[in-house]
Amino acid sequence: MASLQVVIRQFLSTSRRAVISTIRPYSQAVAENDDAPVEMENPYKKERKQCILCKLNIKPDYKNYRLLSQFQSPYTGRIYGRHITGLCKAKQALVESEITKAQNSGYMPYYYKDKAFLKDPKLFDPENPIRFHRF
Amino acid sequence: MPTYELALMLRAMPKPELKTTLTRVSHAVFNRGGIIRNIENLGFRPIPYKTSAHGLVHREANYFIFKLDTATKAVADLREEYSRDVDIVRQRFYKVQTDEQPACTLEEEMLPPAYREEVQQMIEVGKTQVNRFTYKFKYNSGLDYYPFQK
Ligand SMILES: [Zn+2]
Repeated sequence: MASLQVVIRQFLSTSRRAVISTIRPYSQAVAENDDAPVEMENPYKKERKQCILCKLNIKPDYKNYRLLSQFQSPYTGRIYGRHITGLCKAKQALVESEITKAQNSGYMPYYYKDKAFLKDPKLFDPENPIRFHRF
Repeated sequence: MPTYELALMLRAMPKPELKTTLTRVSHAVFNRGGIIRNIENLGFRPIPYKTSAHGLVHREANYFIFKLDTATKAVADLREEYSRDVDIVRQRFYKVQTDEQPACTLEEEMLPPAYREEVQQMIEVGKTQVNRFTYKFKYNSGLDYYPFQK
């Protein structure tokens, strides 16, 4: 009797397995590896750093001298370097060339910052540069 | 025909004279087969630095921007003509750049030096420059004696 029960159980289990395998071929495999590591992207990955002009998609232009004057020192009128402005190389070069254009065509002073723009919001802090400098 | 921007500073003068000056400036462009797309008046305002032009010192000017399409060869000609114009304090031609914005490379630039592409290239170049200025005499020069002081 016991042997018969065993045989029946075996038969049932095999048949069930067979049925399942016909319906969903991979379900059993997934069920087995339920707590296995899953391939996914790093959820702690930091956002890609962008400079302020690229982030806001601003193209510096020599006619927009108010924007350009924000990259100018209020004391000497000189252009702040890349380690102070925090711009990428391409944007810094563009800002510098546009400032020289604006100064050349008489929109912007060379040796000081227009006093109307002195209270404009600061885009960066010249006292805390990315890289050390001796000034 | 490439697109140019002409930044003009005109001397302080009453409106009718300003009008004739502007027509004169634009006719110079038309006579050379150019097109003016747009004229912007940026107003009469003080110049950030005093400028002298045609024997007069100017501290204020009328600012104008012309957007024009002309032949490249006409630009030098126009510049020469405007330089003779007594009403024009300063004129600058700029070619309009229509470039696509490249992706921001700030992330790569903020990496530590050893991971930066240009620093790696510099190191590669430096490896090829070792002992560049130390001359080593070769003994297979055909001389049977050493020509320098030992
Ligand atoms: Zn950028």
